[in-house]
Parts: sequence; C-alpha cells; structure tokens
Amino acid sequence: MGTYTYTSQPRALPCQRRRYRDNLMQPDDEPVRFGNIMYDRRVIRGNTYALQTLPLAGQQDPLELQRLQQAKRRALARKRAREQFRPRTPEPVEGRKHVDVQTELYLEEIADRIIEVDMECQTDAFLDRPPTPLFIPAKTGKDVATEILEGELFDFDLEVKPMLEVLVGKTIEQSLLEVMEEEELANLQASQNAYEELRNIELAEVQRLEEQERRHREEKERRKQQQWEVIHKHHETEQKIAAQAFAQRYLADLLPSVFGSLRDGGYFFDPIQRDIEIGFIPWLLNEVDKTMEHSMLGRTVLDMLIREVVERRLDMFEHKYPTPGNRSWQGSSGAMAGSVGPYEAQAPGTSPAQNSFLTKDYLPTPTPDKRSLERGLSQDGRGVEEGDPTVQSTEAGMKQTAELPDVWNSARP
Amino acid sequence: MAHTRISMYQPPDINPTQAAIAYGCRALPKLNEELQSENLRMRQKALMALCDLMHDPEHVYQAIQIGCLESLKALLRDSNHLVRIKTTEVLCIMATHNIGREGFLKYNVVPFLALLLNDPQLLCRLNLHQAYKHLAQLPQGAQGIINSGLIPSLVWKLQREEDESVQLLILDTLSSCLWEGATTEALDNRVVPFLKEMLLSANEDIRAKAAHTLMAVCVPLDGKNQVWQYDVIPILVHMLKDPVQEVQANAAGALMYATVTTEGKYAALDAEAMAPLLMLLNSSLSKVRLNAIKVLTMLAEAPEGRCYLQAQVPVFRLLEDDPNPTVQRAALTAIKVIEWKP
Repeated sequence: MGTYTYTSQPRALPCQRRRYRDNLMQPDDEPVRFGNIMYDRRVIRGNTYALQTLPLAGQQDPLELQRLQQAKRRALARKRAREQFRPRTPEPVEGRKHVDVQTELYLEEIADRIIEVDMECQTDAFLDRPPTPLFIPAKTGKDVATEILEGELFDFDLEVKPMLEVLVGKTIEQSLLEVMEEEELANLQASQNAYEELRNIELAEVQRLEEQERRHREEKERRKQQQWEVIHKHHETEQKIAAQAFAQRYLADLLPSVFGSLRDGGYFFDPIQRDIEIGFIPWLLNEVDKTMEHSMLGRTVLDMLIREVVERRLDMFEHKYPTPGNRSWQGSSGAMAGSVGPYEAQAPGTSPAQNSFLTKDYLPTPTPDKRSLERGLSQDGRGVEEGDPTVQSTEAGMKQTAELPDVWNSARP
Repeated sequence: MAHTRISMYQPPDINPTQAAIAYGCRALPKLNEELQSENLRMRQKALMALCDLMHDPEHVYQAIQIGCLESLKALLRDSNHLVRIKTTEVLCIMATHNIGREGFLKYNVVPFLALLLNDPQLLCRLNLHQAYKHLAQLPQGAQGIINSGLIPSLVWKLQREEDESVQLLILDTLSSCLWEGATTEALDNRVVPFLKEMLLSANEDIRAKAAHTLMAVCVPLDGKNQVWQYDVIPILVHMLKDPVQEVQANAAGALMYATVTTEGKYAALDAEAMAPLLMLLNSSLSKVRLNAIKVLTMLAEAPEGRCYLQAQVPVFRLLEDDPNPTVQRAALTAIKVIEWKP
C-alpha cells in the first residue's frame, strides 16, 4: 500500500528513433544506437520549480481524453490528406511491372554488402609485457604517529578469551568425536570377540555332540552286528545238526540198498563164476548142442537106414503078400514107430511126425532121451506142438496098424 | 599491516607434495584425471591428495562411483615404488570403509593387488596385507579372496616372509578366510606344518595368532586329522603353560576343536593335557576359562579322561558361580558329561 518502488541496474537506454522508413529489421542486425541523454525527451531540463503536474493517479478527465483523441484523429487525417496529394508514380499497366533501373553511364552492382577493405598493419614482435613497475605513490602529507600505551587499545586477555574458547572448544569437540568413534569401534570389537567366543564354544559343543552321537551309533551298530552274527551262527548250527541227523537217517540204509541194487543189477560178480557163465557155459552148451545134433543126426541117419530097411522089407513083403497100398503105408509107419522102441504116449505123436518127415522135410524126432532137453531146447517144442494136433488123426492110423505089428501094440502101455 | 603490493609469494598453506584439491564436487574427478596422467610427479601428488581425502566415507563412495579404482588398479603396476606404496595405502584406507570393501569386490581389485605380493618394498607389502586383512573381515570379502585363488600364495608367503608384522597380518587374513571355508585349499598347501613352526616362534603375538588360525583350521574334519597326523597336539599342550593369556586362550581353543576326534583325544591325553587345563580354569580371562572347560569336556568323553575328571567335579561346581553365563553353561555340560554312565 503506499509506495511503489522500482529498481533496476543502471543501463544506457537505446534510442527510439527509427532511422529509416521501412525499418522492419530487428535492431540486432544493425548496431543499437543509444540515445544521447542530452536529447532525451523524458529528461526534464531546466528548473523544476514550476512543473506541469501529471494528472492524478493516471485518471484523465473525460474532456481531456476526448480532446486528445480528437487531436489525434485530426493529425491522422491531415497526414493521410498530405499522402494523397503527394505525386506518385502511376500504377503499372496490365501485364507490366515497374522495375528499378540504373540509368547512369556505368552500371554499378547494387548489393547489401558493405564494401570491405582489408587493411593490414605490421608491428614489431610482441615484447613481453614488462612487469608492472611497483606503484609507489608519491609521498604526500605528513607522517603522523600515535603512541599506544599498554592497556589503551584493548585488553588482550579479555579479547582473546572468546577466541580461545572457540578454538579450544572446537579442538576438544573434534577430539571427543574421535575418541567416541574409537570407543565405539572398541565396543564393537569387544562384542565381536564375545560373539566369536560364544560361537567357538557352541561350535565345539556341536561337534562334540556330533562325535558322541556318531560313536554311540557306531557302537550300537557294532553290537547289533555282533548279536545278529551270533543268532545267525546259532541258526546255522541248528540247521547243520538237523541236516546231519536227517542225512544220517536217510543214508542209513543207503549202503545196504546200494549194495543190494548193485548186486541185483549184477554188478557184483565172482569173476571166475562170471567167466564160467560167460565163456564156459555157452561153449559147453554149444558143444552139447553139437553132440546132440550129432546124435540126432546119427539117429536120423539110423532112422533113415531103418526106414530103408523097413521099406525094402515091406516091398519084399508086398511082393510076397500084396495089400492095399495106403494102409500098409501107414502101418509101416506105425511099425516103424514101434520099431523105434517101447515108448510112452508121445510115441504115437512121433509117427505123424515121421509121416511129416517123409512127406516134408527132415525133422528131428522127439525121443525119451531128449525129454529133459526138450524143455531147454526150443526146436523140440516145435516138434511136440506139431505132433499134438495130429495125435488124434493118427490114433486111427495107430489102430489100423494093430493088425500088423501086434508086438508093437502090446509093447505100448 | 597489509601491503598494497601484490606479493610474489604464494599463500602459505599450499603443500608442494600434494596436488591442489579442487573445490567441492570437482575434487575427485580432477584427481582421477591426474592419476591417469603421464607425468610421474603429477601422479604422485594426486595420490598424496587422494590419501587424505579417502578418510571420509562420502569421498570414498564418490571415488568408487567415478571409477577411481580402475586408475588405481593401473597404478599398481607402475614402476616407481613411491607410486605403488601410496596406491596400496589409498586402497588400504578404502578397505577400512564398508563401501570401499564392496567396491573392491565389485571391481575385482583383489587379483591386481595380488600382483604385488612379491614386491621388494616392505611398506608396499604391509599396506597390501592390511588391505587384505580389512577385506577378509567381511564374509563376502573373505569369499572374494578365496575365489581369487589367493589362499595358496598366502600360505606360501606365511613361510617365506621374514618380517613379523607382515606375518601377523597374513595370519589374520588367513584365519578370517578359513572361517569362511578355505580349509581344503589351505590344507592342501601344507598350512599345518607352517603353523606348527610358527607356534614355536619367539614373538608372542605370532604365537597367539598362529594358535588362532590353527583353531580355524581344526574346525572341519580334515583339519583335525591333519593336525593329529603332524603331531601338533603336544605342542599345543605345551603352549597351555605359556605366560601370555591370549596364547593360552587360543591354544585351548585349538585343542578344543582338535580333540573332537578320538585320535585327538588320546593324543592329548598322552601329552598329559589334564594338569595344565585344570590350572587354566582359574585364569582371569573368561575366554581362557571357557576354552579350557570345553577341552576338558571333550577329554571327558574318553573313559580314561572321565576317570581322572571325576575327582575334579568340585572345581566345575565352583565354576557354575562364574559371572559369565556362558561359562556357567559350559561348566554344567562338563559335569553332565563327566557323570554320564553308559
């Protein structure tokens, strides 16, 4: 409220006057012209005792305002009127244009460029700037001295106290800070040490417990292992004993049975007996066979001889007493059978057998001598069997021969 | 009185050995550029200035952001020894801050630092090992050191290094790394024989630190077996009688872990560990008491130990009234173990 102040750094004011008509260029391009303070309208010249007072608070009378405006308008109108009456070049005709042209003898280039000329000037080489001479001002005036006695200017002790206090205080403060820092560090170190101790102790404790645990565990394992081994051994021993008992019992009659089966299998043999059995007896049997065959052969030959003889006798008889051929044939056979000897029931069996001789091949006749051998020899079995079916058929034949050889029939039991 | 003359002398607080530190946030970028310059003098001055600035954690953060670590890595290979010493000092100071440590891991500074393990300059190696020690205190840092395969070289250095301060630093680094799980590598590189030699050294710090490292070695089972194989246990028992408490505490700690296995227990019993341990129970340092109680607990697992300790149960009862709660608990467990019947 009240006063208005304005401050600014003192500066030279540029001139407001325009030099050229169409000066639309910015004042930067051309040098700023500063106005001369002597010719500045704003500066009040002359005495200031009786000045025109400015209208109060800037508020103008409406009358004044009107008058000013009218004056302005009139000036403007006058200016415009003057402009109109000024001779001007006529406007160009249609299709044409005004152009500025130089009409002098020698044309000159019109350019905005300011003609520059380089000027040079040579000076001597620069010398080092000599040092500024000491400025010793001329001695002027009079020398004056003042005597200051002790205690007149100031009291040193009193004055120095605050300064000293500050100095000392600051130093002590700084040192206190440093000491506190060190103390803090020492405290930190101490707590670190305490922590480290505790940590070491705890770690050692942990390791000890671990070790203890490990030992106990190993001990337990070992004992368990031992116990397990004992039980295992125990089991094994039991099993061994059981197995042994069982094996013993099982194998008790092994030997006898083995021997028995071997003996049954014929593995135990008296070598001599074996030898006899294998070698001697077959040979013997072979020899017996041969002998038998010989005797059989002999008998057969004998039989043939007898037959021959009997046939011849028959023929001789027939010549003497002729009878039906067949019956005599059979009778002769019966006679032949009887001639063989007083034989048993098998004897009639032999006659058909002998018949079969004559009709078929030569077969050995079963004789009482051979009866014991019949069982052994299979050949005779054949003869016996052949003989049996023909027994009945030849019975009749036997009876027919009754008439002839009574001797033979009576001989037969 | 001030003269009107412009003085030819420069203001008095300029340090000619240091590069000028630019104002505000331009300081570190400008120093970074100077670090990469060709001029040796400029590099040295920039390094000196950097050393001073790195004490402030904000500057450390900013330095890592703008990539100072790359230029520092390049400088590690410089031929001038002052440059190398100062670079390692800068890295050491950065490693004391957590941001610095994380920056180390991110920008893979560890292998580059390892190039200087054999440097002829003692200061260089000192700073290097200090940087490693600080790095190893962070678990990820220890992992980083392990992953770079530095454990074998560190173990070798442990034996080769004559200077004791460097040995101490290496022992610290190794023990931190071993807690993070570098034990198999270290054991492969014969760390146990080296540590055994160091246990017998004259310097008590070395003895204490060697016993501490041995404690870390003994935690996994392989370590325990190797420690028993190399007959370190009798030496540890001998160290229980050492006058320095720190040595006693660490020796008891190493024994604590080594006697977990049965062989270790019997080795300790053979070396007559009982008597010194019982003496340690009266020590003033709580760490000594704790570790001694633990070793006795381990030994009480063995039947012979239990026999012997049954007579000593009253001593443990006394310890139950100890001010330290950990000691009380440990005493209780010990009594429990001694009085256990199978």
